[in-house]
Amino acid sequence: MATTEATVQERRHAAARGQESPGGPQRSTATEPGLAARLAAITPGGYRAGAPPASEPTAWAVLALLGAGDWMAARRGCDWLAETQAGDGAVGVRRRQPAPAWPTALALLAWEAYHRATGENRYHPRIEHALAWTLKTRGRTVERKPQIGHDTTLVGWSWANNTHSWLEPTSLFVKALTANGLGAHARTAEATRLLIDRLLPGGGANYGNTRVLQQYLLPHVQPTGLVMWALADQEVEDPRIEASLAYLAREIEQPLGSASIAYALIGLAAHGRLPKSAATLTAAALARRATVGSTYKLALLNLARQQAQNA
Amino acid sequence: MSSPDRNPRKSEPWIDRRTTIATGGLAAAGLIAAPYARGSLTRPSPVFLAGGQRYEGDIAGTLRDGLLATDLNPETLRGKRVLLKPNLVEPSRRVPHMTTHPAVIVAAAEVFRGWGASVVVGEAPGHVRDTETALIESGVGEALDDGGLDFADLNYEQVDSLRNRGRHSPLKEIFFPRSVLQADLVVSMPKMKTHHWVGVTCGMKNLYGALPGIKYGWPKNVLHHNGIPQTVADINATLPRVITIVDGIECMEGDGPILGTMKPMGLLAVGADVPAVDATIARIMGLDPKRIAYLRLAAPRLGQIEDRHIEQRGDGWRALHSPFHILDEPHLQQLRAADGQLVT
Repeated sequence: MATTEATVQERRHAAARGQESPGGPQRSTATEPGLAARLAAITPGGYRAGAPPASEPTAWAVLALLGAGDWMAARRGCDWLAETQAGDGAVGVRRRQPAPAWPTALALLAWEAYHRATGENRYHPRIEHALAWTLKTRGRTVERKPQIGHDTTLVGWSWANNTHSWLEPTSLFVKALTANGLGAHARTAEATRLLIDRLLPGGGANYGNTRVLQQYLLPHVQPTGLVMWALADQEVEDPRIEASLAYLAREIEQPLGSASIAYALIGLAAHGRLPKSAATLTAAALARRATVGSTYKLALLNLARQQAQNA
Repeated sequence: MSSPDRNPRKSEPWIDRRTTIATGGLAAAGLIAAPYARGSLTRPSPVFLAGGQRYEGDIAGTLRDGLLATDLNPETLRGKRVLLKPNLVEPSRRVPHMTTHPAVIVAAAEVFRGWGASVVVGEAPGHVRDTETALIESGVGEALDDGGLDFADLNYEQVDSLRNRGRHSPLKEIFFPRSVLQADLVVSMPKMKTHHWVGVTCGMKNLYGALPGIKYGWPKNVLHHNGIPQTVADINATLPRVITIVDGIECMEGDGPILGTMKPMGLLAVGADVPAVDATIARIMGLDPKRIAYLRLAAPRLGQIEDRHIEQRGDGWRALHSPFHILDEPHLQQLRAADGQLVT
């Protein structure tokens, strides 16, 4: 699919004028200064306390900090992501680990959200470069086989170069393209079909397999939450979406890790289905030992709480 | 339950020259008895089996017996770093027989700690990114908290690469988390399961979970695209200092490694020659080790898979033989021993 830089730019600017950002919260949130300050202090940051900065946690932190109104800390995260961007436009998982580069999607969301929140278009060249990389990057397809239930010919995005498309990276890139004005792009449309195709008949999704050797696989909360978040921006109808939201609403009341709680709430909130227990669940997760000092978990829970407070 | 009555044979330990690659790292580190590492072209690899085991029993006692019977030298473990690597590929509270039981992990930790080692449990779940949820669903997180054991999330650690010493796949290097590379001894702790692509998953295949998702994805599709048997053999050829302890108490047959049904076996298996342990487990399941592609690639360079080259210590595998149900797929049925016969 040939998409010129000019077209990308035009669509993105049109989106910036007229649409609410799906990538970053726009409404003024009932912020929690203590929580935001804790996050700001460890941005850029990593997956766990004391770990070196990584792109995914830092990008989620930018989105959460923008929601909390801490633009300075958000800019620090955006700058770190910009410095991590490689010459080909991709943003690797860590500064010294340029491959794989699926966090490019999250960097796109962070930079776009910063632009939308502050009006400063300082990351424009970064965004254009990352979009060009994104559009030329394709998950690997394989011939359809009777042993595999999903449509293996649909193109989305993979975790690592030259491997099959899976749900979480595809959800993130669908979200990133849509936030940057490319919601109508052919790649976004095909990837959206992929997201629907990989939902389990009874609701929910796992990493991206449906049926293998005649048996349907188990759903998991985190990928289901991410897919629901991505699909909320798309004009699609499928009974599996409602079934997936019902799955999330059921499962979030079960014991879960902090990230799964956050992704479930973000996915449910995107469809206006936030449970009453949202604040309680996030508060409990924030108190866990594994959350303390983790930029990743603190950012996700911050975002989930913002969703709950805005609901 | 401990098995003092099994009287593990204390025959002079030794190693086949060809298995030096696999166990050479252990010997160099002094973790297995020196005579074992000096090599022999004529004597088999020891594999310890214990039947009649229960999760509520004295698992630590049995594992201690098994490790001693397979020539681990406990005196050399003092002050060493031991990484226990269970199988938590896709934990679900609805399928507890999918993952290594917490009681086996805690018991292994007790044994190695008792010998003066520092113990960390580490895993990179292959199908789920939220490792915290994997620990909750499997019950392992709670057990580690109770036992005061640290956990290393191998999916997100910083990584370093080693040259691919197996060269069965096109991968030039293999990336490992630092906890794996810094360990003096890695203990692969698989669940005894069928596998719907490669037949059986045990000590060797379990090391897929020692590789970081942040490099290879969820699932670790880089490995799949480069050939499952080939990459299993490569990982095992590249990673030094690995032994295995198999949780075969409640196993999985049929559509393993995720959705199969529970098969009680009451079995624990231990060995420093990982292919030899895997081959023995395959025989117990009624599968022919020489038809399991990654075992065929591994032998004899990484270890022994011929029955005549494996010395059973503790219980013999023939007494434990109980064929596992496998899916009615041609690529799996061809792995079966002919007419349900013992695979010798």
